[in-house]
Amino acid sequence: MGRGASTNSIPEIENARFLFVIGSNTTEAHPVLALRIKKAVRNGATLVVADPRKIWLTKLAKRHLQLRPGTDVWLLNAMMHTILSEGLQNEDYIREFTEDFDAVREIVMRYSPEDAEKVSGVAAEDIRASAREYASERHAAIFYTLGITEHACGVDNIWSLSNLVLMTGHLGYESTGLNALRGQNNVQGLNDSGANPSYLPGYQPVDDPEVRQKFFERWGVEVPEATGYRLDQMMSGLHDDRVKALYLIGENPAQTEPNAHHVEEGLGKLEFLISQDIFLQDTARKYADVVLPASSFAEKDGTFTNTERRISRVREASPLPGDAKGDREIVILMAKALGANWPEYPDAESVWNELADLAPNWNGVRYDRIEENGIQWPVPEIGGPDTPFLHAPAPARPPGKGKFFPVEYQRPIEEPDSEYPLVLSTGRTLYHYNSATMTMRESGITDKQEEPFFEISADDASALGLAQGDLARLVSRRGELEAAAHISDRVFPGLVWMALHFAEQKVNWLTHDVADPLIGTPEFKVSAVRVERAA
Amino acid sequence: MRAKSLKAAASRPHSLVRREYDHPMVEFTLDGRTVSAPEGELIVHAAARHGTFIPTLCHDSKLDPYGGCRMCVVDVEGAPRPMPACATRITEGMVLSTNGPITDFQRTLTEMLLSEHLNASPGGRPNELLDMANELGAEAPLILPDAKREEYADRNQLMGYDPDACILCNRCVRYTQEVMQCSALSLEGRGGEARIVPTWGLSWLDTECELCGGCLSVCPTGAIYEKFEEGTKRPEHALEQVRTTCTFCGVGCQIDLNLDPETKHIVKVTSKDEYLPNEGNLCVKGRFAFNFVHHPDRLTQPLVRGEDGELHATTWEHAIETAATGLRGVVERHGAQAVGFLSSARLTNEENYLIQKLARTGIGTNSVHSCEST
Repeated sequence: MGRGASTNSIPEIENARFLFVIGSNTTEAHPVLALRIKKAVRNGATLVVADPRKIWLTKLAKRHLQLRPGTDVWLLNAMMHTILSEGLQNEDYIREFTEDFDAVREIVMRYSPEDAEKVSGVAAEDIRASAREYASERHAAIFYTLGITEHACGVDNIWSLSNLVLMTGHLGYESTGLNALRGQNNVQGLNDSGANPSYLPGYQPVDDPEVRQKFFERWGVEVPEATGYRLDQMMSGLHDDRVKALYLIGENPAQTEPNAHHVEEGLGKLEFLISQDIFLQDTARKYADVVLPASSFAEKDGTFTNTERRISRVREASPLPGDAKGDREIVILMAKALGANWPEYPDAESVWNELADLAPNWNGVRYDRIEENGIQWPVPEIGGPDTPFLHAPAPARPPGKGKFFPVEYQRPIEEPDSEYPLVLSTGRTLYHYNSATMTMRESGITDKQEEPFFEISADDASALGLAQGDLARLVSRRGELEAAAHISDRVFPGLVWMALHFAEQKVNWLTHDVADPLIGTPEFKVSAVRVERAA
Repeated sequence: MRAKSLKAAASRPHSLVRREYDHPMVEFTLDGRTVSAPEGELIVHAAARHGTFIPTLCHDSKLDPYGGCRMCVVDVEGAPRPMPACATRITEGMVLSTNGPITDFQRTLTEMLLSEHLNASPGGRPNELLDMANELGAEAPLILPDAKREEYADRNQLMGYDPDACILCNRCVRYTQEVMQCSALSLEGRGGEARIVPTWGLSWLDTECELCGGCLSVCPTGAIYEKFEEGTKRPEHALEQVRTTCTFCGVGCQIDLNLDPETKHIVKVTSKDEYLPNEGNLCVKGRFAFNFVHHPDRLTQPLVRGEDGELHATTWEHAIETAATGLRGVVERHGAQAVGFLSSARLTNEENYLIQKLARTGIGTNSVHSCEST
């Protein structure tokens, strides 16, 4: 459709009449946004949840599509199959605002709900009913997050959703659209600001000579032409000697990256590693040559951009501990030491203004407009309106037409077999945050959840002789760990689930590192493991 | 306090949020003036549009109309008795009086509540009942002999409850049921024994409670409060507030960091109804997971790995020089492409902008990415 962001706003959620939540454990990963979903349901909206686990939201859902991990394309194509065979598509929208519809029609007609039931485990009638409800409700909104993107076929999954949206014309007005819930506080802004090998700030392609010329004029330095490495390419570059130095700012790849033992081997081969962080985390302790003590969010000025593209102020409240410095100051010191010719940046606002001058859709976002509540990009003109929902009146992709991308199902990279009979999926819990360097330090919260645990069905647990709370060993082709069995009907037989928060028992010792070929997102959601009783 | 939050509720910036406001405007009489509001709006909000702030205690705009405490009653012409403004809706031609004899009733009601209000604010949180007593000139005529209610201990370290501050308005229980939609708190007992308890008499850690602290954020008297070991000795109004954006998930909740004015350390986190996108709601991490900021494990000086393979404290000059020399060496030996930058969603837009600029102009590579690129 032409924009990498949620199409609609958080406050609009409560007025949606149909909500389709797929691959998002919203109440745990985005608890405050989930309040809007709860409110919509309380206001009478219909909720359908597609997730391999019986997550909390399924309590409110009219229907839980409990699909097997990695079969999203089957489910979505079969929903589109239903829409097309029953004539529920929005012909006017397809004609006026989209391209390549026929290619999708041809493919999805081969994905019948009955066949989808065999592959995904979701009843054909449930697929049909959900498709009908979605297509026939104008204020129908889709929410997804890493449950659907953290697959080797992550991009296919998003294209499937996008096809579904375009086919029904659920785009470009209030309380509808396709909404990616960003996992971390500033993922949206990190990409918007150009921390990306393919894009300069504002999603301006680095391979476009005119764009590079524009940045050259402002920066006074040529922008390198050679394509940079994505994260997964940097990680593989550790092993084949393409990458010899890493500068990590607030990153802990020895815990957060898949196949963590392999990552550590690679980190050990580096010639030079800098870690700029607030804690001495695992990667830094073992591999850093230089550690630069940096600032937490409470010690700096600037902006974060949330999942609905709202740019909000971050303000300095507390003094830095000891001799630590703000990240902005550290990066400026490094630039000076490396001989870069930068202007003075006396404050965060001066940096922001340079970004906003160079990025057309951010041009009108200035600090004086976001002192109270933030505003939502695009804001192309100073003093002009912001954009609570995208793609109105037509999709943003030139020339105002959304593109259908036909998608075929691909099997997950690693499927269970006799040696590793269970599927492992991973995620986050309410009480912790990623590698938990912050939240494991809150005793009031770890009271609720501290010990490494994994979820397993009662059938699998009894077959293995595991009782509630028993310590078990999880083994994959890449590593093993121990965790307490949490027997629960949240997972079905054949599936186990573990959170990524535990530094002592890292689930990423088990996950594999084959990523989506196009964008490099790792497949955290499907690995094959076996579970044994711990001695 | 009430006036301010009511004002906010009546002028929400996102007009699309409140569908009820799409109704046609109707005229009504408010203390002798002819004014208008959307048909069906609650009287308390309709009056706030015109600068009349009716006192309330059990009302919260996040919750369903309740009409429990009767503090907000107004005279409605033709009605057989005073009507609760928080649970009665505006109709065409309604004639309302908010400042006549009805204020005597409100003063008496406040005095009755004060006569059982043994502890004004155990955790230093704001107390709307005392604010209202001030405004109305109400004082406790006596303390009722059976006012003392039994306290209970709970092993959670985040939130405490003092029944002697509780006026049983049920806002906390309604918040758990209507907003969180979980079973966490209940009203137990009757009369002098009544108090708020975790559901089924369990600990707060063992109910469906997610420790979001929503109950304490809606409590009008501070009866539910942050149970921190330090910091809450100082009342909330004596703390400094700095508005910022939460550092956890991508929702971007707006929060106020409440600082001890001397140490500038964060004492607690609060939010307000008029903040977007969260409208005053927070989760367990947003409200309680801030101690990492002042944790003793924080890095406080630069470190450089020595010949002995250990990290040693050093000066900034030496650390930056070592870092720059190390990077330059790799560029000379292997080219700029051999240097990778991994930035973070923990950082601000401005910091991320400078980091990509450093990669591109300081080293000469486009290899800048992060683990949160999805």
